Amino acid sequence: MTTAAFDVEPRTPALPGDATRDFEFERDALPWIDDVYRFALSLTRDESDADDVVQETYLRAYRSWHTFIPGTDCRRWLFTICRNVFLRSRERQRPTVDLEDGEQDAVAAGSVYAAARENGYDDIYARVDLAPALQEALDELSEPFRSAVVLVDVEDMTYESAADVMGVPIGTVRSRLFRGRRLLQEKLLTVAQDLGFVPASAPSAPAGAR
Amino acid sequence: MSAGTHDHAPLDLSANCMETLRHLWDYLDDQMTPAGAERLRAHIASCESCSRYEDFQERFLAKVSQIRADLGAPASLREKLAEKLKEQGCGCWGSVKSEKR
Repeated sequence: MTTAAFDVEPRTPALPGDATRDFEFERDALPWIDDVYRFALSLTRDESDADDVVQETYLRAYRSWHTFIPGTDCRRWLFTICRNVFLRSRERQRPTVDLEDGEQDAVAAGSVYAAARENGYDDIYARVDLAPALQEALDELSEPFRSAVVLVDVEDMTYESAADVMGVPIGTVRSRLFRGRRLLQEKLLTVAQDLGFVPASAPSAPAGAR
Repeated sequence: MSAGTHDHAPLDLSANCMETLRHLWDYLDDQMTPAGAERLRAHIASCESCSRYEDFQERFLAKVSQIRADLGAPASLREKLAEKLKEQGCGCWGSVKSEKR
């Protein structure tokens, strides 16, 4: 068992057949393939592209294993590589987001809720199998809001980890996350209306009557 | 962009309700100071509409956390990746094919 001592010293690149690297890679990196695949799929929205991104991610991780700091969060490290591979594959068309205070979105979500209530849809998440619609709505979200929601809400990362993966400050994660959540809720309400979900209780007034 | 662009919420909200509206996600994400969290918790406990709003948002987040929860890397991808790692001289390529669950 190799332990510590590597924590401060930069490690040198491994040579082919390095048993320590293989041992660590198998133990720390391989268990996250499913997670990396899900993240890649949410980024690419295409299974074949996700395949490519995952393979490239793991190959890079393997070749650069000496840059991984033992004992740190390997999933976070892999997600960071994964997102960079994805962005590179898109020729760095990094979307620009205007600085936006997340609170506006939080408050706007309140009005989505008010509209849902008015339609009798406030129990929508309890009653209806929304999974397909929700997945679709998430896929339709534009970057970088999609990444923020996926990392924090789907993959259960902390703001700090998500900030690291996305290479932005924590406050930016928050505002992107809140925007993403608000947009998701708006889309879901629209879906519910379009599908004519039957409210549990009769709505008090038709939507948009005034 | 400031007030007036959105017709956000009914105007009869108390200051405490507005604070809940603004910070509920921070609260649910455990991002508030202990004092702020306590203030919100106390208000929500005493306010029926904020309590219902909290339920609504919690159910939403629970739904989102379930998206693709049962999806993993396809076997075909694991095969391809195993081959490539093998080419790199990786000794643990065989483990790539075995699924976690």
